[in-house]
Amino acid sequence: MGLLRDWHYVEKAVQIPALAELIREALIHALFVRDDRVLPRDLIADLNRVPPVTVKVKEDAEVRKLVRVLNGQESTVSLGLSAEDYHYFRTQLGVGRTREFGVTMRPRTLLTYDWIVPEQRGVQLDFTGYAGIEFAVDGHRAIAQVGALWKRLYDEASERGHLVPFVPTVPLDFAVGDALYGDAPFASFRGGFASYVNALRTISAYGQRARIGFEEVANYGTAYDLLHAAIPLAGEFFIPLSAALRLEAKPAARKTLTYGFDDPAKLSAGLDRLCRFGPGVNWVHITDAVAAKILRPATPPEASTVQVSLGATTTGIAAKEKALDVAMVGFKAKSSETPNPYDVSADAYRKTADTVARSLFVGEVRVPAKSFGEFLGKVRAFGDQSAAKAGAYANLQETGSVSTYPFFSAPKDRTKVYDLSKGVRAIVTRTPGAAFTSRLAHLWDEEPNFLRRMSLVRSLKLEIDEAHVVQPLISP
Amino acid sequence: MASLDYAYRRLVNTLGPERVARSEFERMVYSHDFASLPKIALLQWRLYPDFVALPQTTEEVAALVKLSDESLLQITPRGGGTGWCGGSVPNRGGVLVDMRKMNNVLALDPDTRTVTVEAGATWKEVEDFVESKGFALPTIPLNAAGSTVGGSINSGSTGFGGLRGGSVRDAIASLEVILPNGSLLKTASQADAGGQLANLTPLFFGAEGTLGIVTKAILRVVPKPEISKPLTYAFPNLAAAARCLKGIVDAALTPYHAALMDRDHFVFDRALEADSPDPTDLALVAVQGSKDDVADQEKAMDGLAAKEQGTKLPPAVGDRLWRDRYNNYSARRLSRGLMVSYNLVPLRRLPEAVEKAMEIRDKLKLNGSVQAHIVDTTTAALDPYVLMDDTKPSGGTALGFVKRMGDAAFKMEGHPMGLGLFLVFNLRKMHGNATSAYSAVKGVFDPRKKINGGKTFEVWTKYPWPGLRAIPPPGMAIGLEVAAILRRVKPTRDRFVRAYEHTKEG
Ligand SMILES: Cc1cc2nc3c(=O)[nH]c(=O)nc-3n(C[C@H](O)[C@H](O)[C@H](O)COP(=O)(O)OP(=O)(O)OC[C@H]3O[C@@H](n4cnc5c(N)ncnc54)[C@H](O)[C@@H]3O)c2cc1C
Repeated sequence: MGLLRDWHYVEKAVQIPALAELIREALIHALFVRDDRVLPRDLIADLNRVPPVTVKVKEDAEVRKLVRVLNGQESTVSLGLSAEDYHYFRTQLGVGRTREFGVTMRPRTLLTYDWIVPEQRGVQLDFTGYAGIEFAVDGHRAIAQVGALWKRLYDEASERGHLVPFVPTVPLDFAVGDALYGDAPFASFRGGFASYVNALRTISAYGQRARIGFEEVANYGTAYDLLHAAIPLAGEFFIPLSAALRLEAKPAARKTLTYGFDDPAKLSAGLDRLCRFGPGVNWVHITDAVAAKILRPATPPEASTVQVSLGATTTGIAAKEKALDVAMVGFKAKSSETPNPYDVSADAYRKTADTVARSLFVGEVRVPAKSFGEFLGKVRAFGDQSAAKAGAYANLQETGSVSTYPFFSAPKDRTKVYDLSKGVRAIVTRTPGAAFTSRLAHLWDEEPNFLRRMSLVRSLKLEIDEAHVVQPLISP
Repeated sequence: MASLDYAYRRLVNTLGPERVARSEFERMVYSHDFASLPKIALLQWRLYPDFVALPQTTEEVAALVKLSDESLLQITPRGGGTGWCGGSVPNRGGVLVDMRKMNNVLALDPDTRTVTVEAGATWKEVEDFVESKGFALPTIPLNAAGSTVGGSINSGSTGFGGLRGGSVRDAIASLEVILPNGSLLKTASQADAGGQLANLTPLFFGAEGTLGIVTKAILRVVPKPEISKPLTYAFPNLAAAARCLKGIVDAALTPYHAALMDRDHFVFDRALEADSPDPTDLALVAVQGSKDDVADQEKAMDGLAAKEQGTKLPPAVGDRLWRDRYNNYSARRLSRGLMVSYNLVPLRRLPEAVEKAMEIRDKLKLNGSVQAHIVDTTTAALDPYVLMDDTKPSGGTALGFVKRMGDAAFKMEGHPMGLGLFLVFNLRKMHGNATSAYSAVKGVFDPRKKINGGKTFEVWTKYPWPGLRAIPPPGMAIGLEVAAILRRVKPTRDRFVRAYEHTKEG
């Protein structure tokens, strides 16, 4: 999700004598909101910089060439730009001057907020037009270019008899690449997005095509599983171009069952039982009343709604539904007609996504199923106190953890984002077993083991991207 | 370098005399793993460790690692020693750290559904413990009885339950590791199930002991299924069994385990035990769940098997195979040695893959069995074994089988598993242009190459002199290719079981 650069910047900033007086959190606040009362002017200028050149990618060869040019391995002549573009490119990048250039990938849809430190002088890659999807002829895998929309992947896979197991917990119009260099929250009941990635086709910092993992098979016994270690930060090690995704077969019978709860304790107990359910559950999507109203404006919402996507044999589905009813005992209402957010037309999906996107999101909180109801209540109360009505989208994982995305009806200015994130963090600290995994939460975390891991990850980045090309780290 | 006697004294001071060994016999025991290496390998490597150390605590492991800064002795971590490519065998002597005394199951937390274990515990020990508490492991390596938690994680193992329970990697909540500088690292924060907070666990999955010594693991557990039922089907040939396995995924069924074994496996079994199942090409499918669920899955399986002319075998066959599932290589007793080739191939190409494995086995005039199991919805593990007598010069040539099988796996868009000491030449074939990124990991964690140096990425020899210090990995490939050629020109097929030839012809 792209955070090494911010983390490194903060680590370095705390060492600057002029800023050393500030406590870490105050510094992060100042950097995040670009506070000119606290920070020197040139630092603010750095933070407000935007990458001067955006390249719309159509072919991987262009990216290779670009990286090689930025690396000084090839001259700009080989970029094959029109005379006008060529001149623009050279002047904007200041080719020929002694400057470091970087390449950064622009997420199509960002759930939360922009990074603290933008790419300083390099090139931003826009993958909107790099969106092909190729399905295996006789197997359950797809190779999706990073610009391909998740919804298209989902629909086309379905037409071919596959099931895309992972769905966006917050139903925005994400591209596949948003999970690699953005913050798209793809997950299934059985695992996160990474569990479904067999390989990434990338361009390395040296401009070579490099495949991380294996497109057709899993990654076992081949030295380090670099693929899965890198995925949350993939865009900081390589330039990912396509992902080889592991799909499943579409079950013979599928059903979305919707359970309404009005009692948070019963909701938590139901989820706690549901996570022991075993195979058959594809995803479990949870919304509070505010989120449910956004997704289904025509339906009066329950305090909490749990939608379960169930798959089984045609003969087995009834028994599974019965077992599910038992697990969810305590529900107030049940329906098998309520549409789920994903199996709708692309237009309807996009329309809903536009509405969903208006809310302010602070990132992911992992909450034990048992405490979910209580956590929701606290977030709601916090929203009321902060004059920012709160809601949440969430999904339940088999591990017993609920991956929750609280949101607020508030203007998306950075100060508000910061304050609301801080409030959520305070609730998380009071919820046993919960973890806040947003980008800001990473920057705040000072647990020694976490800091060691981050510095190992940074060393690894510096080794792999020795050329300082892929989102190069920047010091204030 | 400090003298060996001094190093020994320091080790004894750290662990006590009873947990440091240096006798010829003990060193010999640790000079090989499950694969049988021909004696000629001693010309290239110092396979005997100088000392064997058996730590009992994380602190002792850390002390051992720090000691090597004084003694400059290489460290080789070892679990059950059941790997097959020399990862747990020294290449330059040094200190072999046998982790099996750290085999306690420390705690089971029903709330977080995790179990904390020491890395030297075998999977079977962990399974027995969690089952006694009403839980189960989501996935467990095939060799659960002999392999340790730390060893399998470092081998990047596949196993039972993958299709349903996910990979062993995903079953790890966190690891405790002593890094090569002697410090302790926790690879993930426990509440962070999806691994967003800088999760380094995947780097240790398949690391072959090159990044540090795993001392503890926190593993996920799942509720124990109500019923578990093994089903077996006989097929007219192995390709039909393979099509049936593929059909399972195409029908979106998720049995706990689905595997195939060829008839030769049962020929060997019959030679050892008269009442073993009749030789046949067979699929073993274990279904789990509630009573209704199991009945439904069984019905669906019966239908899939029938499509490939599979006949259901009596429950006693499945029960026996399931009971003995962790003990798959008893055929070793027929030949003294046995060589397994582990590969991953696309599931959609499994029928072709099993035929290819049989072809390679037969071309190399070996006796052996072709086996496979489903790993996930795209992947099958193809793990044929061949019998060999490593006391005879021709025995070592069976290593050529592993090379040819690996090459075939690459051709089928899969890959062989494991690099260790003598399959390093596959690294570049596996990762192509990304290879340097993989070596970078070692550089970050162990720049001085203290732990399992000269393996996985490069092949050190026992000689310290420039020019002879390492051999280029392709050199090993050539050696194994020569072994394969020698097998092909061998005039006769191996014959470890009299009945073997009859049944093949009949
Ligand atoms: C019957 C049988 C079936 C098998 N089936 C499979 C299978 O299905 N799939 C599969 O992948 N493999 C399989 N194998 C191979 C082997 O068993 C596995 O790789 C196994 O998990 C290794 O575990 P071990 O404890 O024996 O490790 P070892 O062989 O002792 O060591 C393996 C590697 O891990 C390192 N290591 C060991 N312990 C540690 C530690 N605590 N910290 C750091 N590094 C360590 C060693 O240095 C070595 O590089 C099988 C082997 C047998 C004999």
